[in-house]
Amino acid sequence: MLFLKSGLPVVAAVLLTIVTGCSQQSSQSAYNSLAPDIDVSGYLLSEEPAGAMGVIEAREKAQNDEPVVLVARIGGSKTPWIDGRAAFMVIDAGMTLVADGTDSAEGEICLDSCCASLLTDCTTLVKIVDAKGKVVPVDARQVLKADVNDMIVIRGKITRDEEQGSFAVLADGVHVRR
Amino acid sequence: MRSLFRLKLLPWEYGVRNLFRRASRTLLTLGGMTIVILLVLIVVAFIRGLESSLAASGDEDVVLVYSISSAADIENSSIEARVPALIGASLDDVQQQYGVKHISPEIYLGTRVQIDATGEKGLGLVRGVTRSAPLVRSQVRIISGEWPAAGELLVGRLAYSKLGCREADLAIGQTVTFDGRQWPVSGVFAADGSAFESELWCDLETMQLALKRQDISLAAFKLTPGASLADIQMFCAERPELELKAVRESDYYASLQQHYRPVRMLGWAMVWMIAGAGVFTGLNTMYGAVVGRMRELSTLQAIGFRRAAITLSLVQESTLLATAGSLLACLLAFLLVNGTAVRFTMGAFALKVDSVAVLIGCATGLVLGVVGALPPAIKAMRASIVDGIKAI
Repeated sequence: MLFLKSGLPVVAAVLLTIVTGCSQQSSQSAYNSLAPDIDVSGYLLSEEPAGAMGVIEAREKAQNDEPVVLVARIGGSKTPWIDGRAAFMVIDAGMTLVADGTDSAEGEICLDSCCASLLTDCTTLVKIVDAKGKVVPVDARQVLKADVNDMIVIRGKITRDEEQGSFAVLADGVHVRR
Repeated sequence: MRSLFRLKLLPWEYGVRNLFRRASRTLLTLGGMTIVILLVLIVVAFIRGLESSLAASGDEDVVLVYSISSAADIENSSIEARVPALIGASLDDVQQQYGVKHISPEIYLGTRVQIDATGEKGLGLVRGVTRSAPLVRSQVRIISGEWPAAGELLVGRLAYSKLGCREADLAIGQTVTFDGRQWPVSGVFAADGSAFESELWCDLETMQLALKRQDISLAAFKLTPGASLADIQMFCAERPELELKAVRESDYYASLQQHYRPVRMLGWAMVWMIAGAGVFTGLNTMYGAVVGRMRELSTLQAIGFRRAAITLSLVQESTLLATAGSLLACLLAFLLVNGTAVRFTMGAFALKVDSVAVLIGCATGLVLGVVGALPPAIKAMRASIVDGIKAI
């Protein structure tokens, strides 16, 4: 009986520790576990760069290696963030996202396959790169402290390959409109 | 506790002898307990087999690239055949050996397959692969025959279950027909119990010709250990017109595990219900057994044995029976259940009587033994000695 009296609370405590431990582990978001040893404060611009254009206009006009200032909203994909890298998708600020499968009017778009080709024209990948042109190995959510649908202004240059059909913005600074 | 040690217990042999004294009742109780524990073992083996099949299928270092519009269903995926080469050329993290990158372009589809030996048709899972497939799917090994030449098939060792035919119908030299073409079997492969074992593998180019397709379903990349998925994800995001999606194979099969969660939950609920029914059956049997022994139990009290000692002896009898039932059920499960192929929507898997299943089965047996004997024993001990001795 003495064993039962002293043993049961111990067993309960061990079980509670295991359960609590598991739940804490699963609730941690993936990107927070990546330790950012790199100073990323320089990539966040306090002043908004002037002369911004939209994603659609940039896709139509901008040439490879051309400096560009882009205004856009974070999004354009169900998961716009690239885990562990300072890279993310943006969508033209003039486009409004509607629920998948609904009829969309002019300037509206959904993320379903029905709007796939339209999405291609109004979205782009933004890669925040260091002085060597390498993508900063820190999650963009930590660099920008921003969320999906936040309006941002990107300063950088265009990288495009007409033959391969690739298009992206290599950013050296991003301003988040608060 | 101290008083329990000072208690004058009935001899161990007394309980054992009692079991043999009423042989037919003992055999019936043993049979009932064995069936209950066997049922628990079968359900746990089903859940464990399904879980380990999906877990073994996902490699942490393998990344699947497929069409974003196919949701989580690779069968509906269609991507350009140049995608593997494009991604391979722009990535440094793909494993490489002797100049060969570990990239596997594949077509994956479910189709009606006719077993030529019997003429019967079943829904089979066919994967068109190149010789680089085993570089990526490292768990695959040929256990008989050889790698398929153009127009031949390499069958997984559980493919017969998925197709609903006999194992001999897919032996080397046998033929199956699908997509208007006859495919002779060139060999059989195993894949550590993963979902691949229920598939039919054939040459990718031959399959493209048979299906009149130029595209592929997916490309599988084996990354260097610990490499990030980010570079492939960036490639997919940078080329939206290709409509690609990159997912770790382990995450893909983990999502399927979530898909089958209701099935597993139902399985565990069945384990509890069977065990509960077993306990009630045990209680009923033990009530009958104890009532029939009222005179004997009261006589034991009259000659000086305390109630706790007699109760302990009854629990001992019941636990001995339950233990024998557990061992018998485990033996039967190993002989008849373990490894039996079961068909399910995304393939087939083998029932797995592993350590967890044995532990749960034996624990159920122990609960049956102890919990099944206690209430009737306590009830019998509450009756007065005089009434008990008078009982017929």
